[in-house]
Amino acid sequence: MSVLKRLTEPKSLETMSPLGSVLVYGALIVWSLVVLFPLYWIAITSLKLPIHVSAGPVYLPYIDFMPSTHAWHYIFYDLGNDTLRPYMNSIVVALVSTVLAMLIGSMAAYALSRLEFAPRLASILLFIFLGGVMIVAVAGFGVPWWIAAVVALAIFLLLARAVGRTMRASLGNGDILFWIISQRILPPVVAALPIYVMFQSLSLLDTRTALIATYTTVNLPIVVWLMYDFFVTIPKDLEESASLDGASRFAIFFGIVLPLARPGLVATGLLVLILAWNEYLLALFLSSANAQTMPVLVAAQNATRGPQWWYMSVLILLMILPVIGLTLLLQRFIAKGLLLGAVKG
Amino acid sequence: MTIVLDRISKSFGQVEVLKTLSLEVNPGEFLVLLGASGSGKTTALRMIAGLESVSSGRIVIGQRDVTNVLPKNRDVAMVFQSYALYPHKTVFDNIAYPLAVRKRPKAEIESSVRDVARQVQLDQLLDRFPRQLSGGQRQRVALARAIVRRPSAFLMDEPLSNLDAKLRGHMRAELKHMQHELGIATIYVTHDQIEAMTLAHRVAILERGVLQQLDTPANIYNRPANLFVAGFIGSPPMNVLEGSLTQGRFECGSGSFGTASTSSGKAVVAGIRPEDGRLTAEGSGHLAGEIYASELIGDHTLVTCRCGDATVTVKADKDFDGAIGQRVGVGFEPRVVHLFDKATGERIS
Amino acid sequence: MALTSTAGLAAAPAERESIQDWLDRQAGRLFIMPAVVLILGFSIFPLIASAYLALSRFKLAPGGYTLTFIGTLNFRKMLTGSQQFHLLGTFGTITLLGWAIIAGTAVLVAWGTLRYLRSGQVGIVGSIGRLITFATALALAVMFALDLGEGGQLGTIATTLFYVVGGVTLQFVIGLGLALICAKPIRGRSFFRVLFFVPLMVTPVGIAYTFRMLADTAVGPFAPLWRWLGYAQTSWSADAWTARFVVLIGDSWQWIPFIFIVLLAAIESQPRDEVEAAQLDGASGWQIFRDITWPSIAPVAATVVLIRAIEAFKIIDLPNVLTNGGPGIATESLTLHAFIEWRALNLGGSAAVAYMLLFLSTIACVSFFNFVVKPMRGARA
Repeated sequence: MSVLKRLTEPKSLETMSPLGSVLVYGALIVWSLVVLFPLYWIAITSLKLPIHVSAGPVYLPYIDFMPSTHAWHYIFYDLGNDTLRPYMNSIVVALVSTVLAMLIGSMAAYALSRLEFAPRLASILLFIFLGGVMIVAVAGFGVPWWIAAVVALAIFLLLARAVGRTMRASLGNGDILFWIISQRILPPVVAALPIYVMFQSLSLLDTRTALIATYTTVNLPIVVWLMYDFFVTIPKDLEESASLDGASRFAIFFGIVLPLARPGLVATGLLVLILAWNEYLLALFLSSANAQTMPVLVAAQNATRGPQWWYMSVLILLMILPVIGLTLLLQRFIAKGLLLGAVKG
Repeated sequence: MTIVLDRISKSFGQVEVLKTLSLEVNPGEFLVLLGASGSGKTTALRMIAGLESVSSGRIVIGQRDVTNVLPKNRDVAMVFQSYALYPHKTVFDNIAYPLAVRKRPKAEIESSVRDVARQVQLDQLLDRFPRQLSGGQRQRVALARAIVRRPSAFLMDEPLSNLDAKLRGHMRAELKHMQHELGIATIYVTHDQIEAMTLAHRVAILERGVLQQLDTPANIYNRPANLFVAGFIGSPPMNVLEGSLTQGRFECGSGSFGTASTSSGKAVVAGIRPEDGRLTAEGSGHLAGEIYASELIGDHTLVTCRCGDATVTVKADKDFDGAIGQRVGVGFEPRVVHLFDKATGERIS
Repeated sequence: MALTSTAGLAAAPAERESIQDWLDRQAGRLFIMPAVVLILGFSIFPLIASAYLALSRFKLAPGGYTLTFIGTLNFRKMLTGSQQFHLLGTFGTITLLGWAIIAGTAVLVAWGTLRYLRSGQVGIVGSIGRLITFATALALAVMFALDLGEGGQLGTIATTLFYVVGGVTLQFVIGLGLALICAKPIRGRSFFRVLFFVPLMVTPVGIAYTFRMLADTAVGPFAPLWRWLGYAQTSWSADAWTARFVVLIGDSWQWIPFIFIVLLAAIESQPRDEVEAAQLDGASGWQIFRDITWPSIAPVAATVVLIRAIEAFKIIDLPNVLTNGGPGIATESLTLHAFIEWRALNLGGSAAVAYMLLFLSTIACVSFFNFVVKPMRGARA
């Protein structure tokens, strides 16, 4: 009885019982293995010769098998540009779209956190109606899209005031914020088709520009959501003081608010960067040879070199090493960033 | 420069927080807006700054109608309750900010900032960040930032309320001295009547968005315009007794006394400041009551008496020694009695 | 959009203003415009266009394409016609399990309706919302029952729901467990925290390949184990359910960290003194969890499940790379279904599938928000 008690009861509030700590550390080690083993397996597979893979599993380099860099050599030298081009595409697309999404999203989030907006419900309904009419006109009756767009916009501007005057109901900041965030619920595949057609008619298909524009939009809701929470925590006094000191809204935003929101910017930026870096579906729709990004390249190996796992592993490592490096470097910020959004909701 | 508020009002939706406020601040004057929270004093200040829009009325600074001018173009400086220092800038950059956004030459900024910093004794701390400063030092930085560009008016929103009591007294004196030196019109918002009385040339008392009285501190204390001001100014507050007036004589349940007035037949409220009353033996004086509590404050004793339905507090000697429950009388000179109309609350002169 | 800025910094100009001042007054609109325009252009406009596409037939023609309006034909084909097996699944005869699913859902719906009627706050919006939620739930229950019946097969809706419900449940349970463990006074806490966080950052496509390697019964790392068990010759990818589970495991490996990290922070921010008081009162670990920890993290837990579910509905990378949707259509998610239709140049059908996904995920997420997240937040606040 007393032994059992000593095993299961903690000595003080701050420590665990012996049995408890065995279970806890056991669980921690098991889960560490679950996390690490897949990564370890890719790492050693990238150093294996074909024979090491096809002859059944070998586990330990230098003991089970002699590591070789032949796969790395093949990917970098023999394939050369076929690897580097998608890699550069991925880097450019992810970085540029992240910077744009951060800039545009932060500006919107800031405006929503500080100024009051009251868009008229009637104007919005009118806008959606005209948008629908425009699409039917373009798709169903072959009207050139730019004529339809100009006409729709003109009608909207003409009618917006009149409609707004008769129907007074309007939305608030909360509604706009919800509208932007709720874009995240929209499955990208719904938007992918028309975006594909749109870029095709603009001759922008399979360019980095198309991917950058699309990724920027897809990631905007996250930026607006997380940055809104950061901006809300910055005291208004600072901005009011700056405005009395003679600064314009733009000077306040770039000189006072953004520097103060730096932790939030880093966290959100990293998250968005990783999302853009890993994005697959839209790249699949919008790029083929020129603007192909790494996830698409890796996925395409499925068909061409199914069982050639040593090459696959190199490509996967190329994709995940920079991200894991960044994560380890900045993980403190990311956790904070995720939290602000999720916990405060 | 003169600041004129011309019948300005402010509503948030259905709620009217400021009702047709009119006042004029003379050049070099120190005007205090005094009121409890929700009285509209901060709203009024923020309207002058341009941080709140004006629902109706006009604001004129100098000769210029600034009602719809952007805050940055109003040429007023504001000191916030929280000081609103930029945490990512050094003390120097904080003070220099108003000049830097106006794109003044580097050398001019440098010399102005150093001048002002010397004035508020911050010259040793210019490289620090706000988080490395004490409360009093932060306060000085906020002041320096307001002074550095010589605005046409200072606006201060409870600038001393985040300091501890001792420092507050010290900064109060400094503030008054500095305002006198600079000679710039200042509007100062506070809920602290001592700050108001000590700092102001004139005090404007606001309650529920309505101006109650605008006068010098002495007049506000000696001739409160209505019951609200009478109760608001003075600590402990003025004693009030409800009763009626007959040929200048005030009568209530616990006694009667003569006043400076000669009218009659009116429901009135009589007010007597604690320091104007004195305790007398039972049966003498003007009011009869019994001691409810007596508190030794230091240089005097506050004695609270129950006189009928009313409670009357009297300032007594520091060696006053009366037991709770002891029956006493309260007496005073007729001229110290303030009379107010019970229905309107206005002063009867 | 007529955005009206009514903030304190904006009002009608009285003096002559410079362009800078005008810009300053319009700052609000200028700040929010780019975001609104982008979302309108790349989100709302495509949404409307997709709706039109879903109602038409797309055909390549010389020098371009033609779109013919065909009404709801695309949807009818999938719901009742030749493509029904793909979206809804192949219907079998309902077994006991099927009846149990239907009965269980029916009881839940009846309970929900009863509670709503008794709450005394019956309104039009609330009634319509519940009608949609309950009708969808019942329809999905019947669909599952038919798919799981004898001779039945899951369609892409059922498979997607399996990924969402099964995946989120698994991830939540393990994520919560890990968070509870890491909240204990352990050594190397920050090390484990960072380590457990890593999978979240790994490219899903990479995860898919990695798990294909790991799951290989002949040459994968666990091959000796399979040989010993006598499964060396069988391939997991040939069986519908094992294939789905491998996808589920890969997805969970990636997303458990997300739930873990958020719940850990929620647990750590719970009021410390309440826990200590309970410990002094002699409460057991389970009692502390039930009475103090859970109530304080429940709102966050509900929110994190919602966020995870929203993303889970969009799953495509893993099934596409791991199994290519196979065997047959066994692991095909709705997004992959839409993509396959697109690749076959059936753009109308693809848009229709995408819209089915949109309806499903919106109804599910909005219902979850209204009936789970909101009450939990309300209870705490």
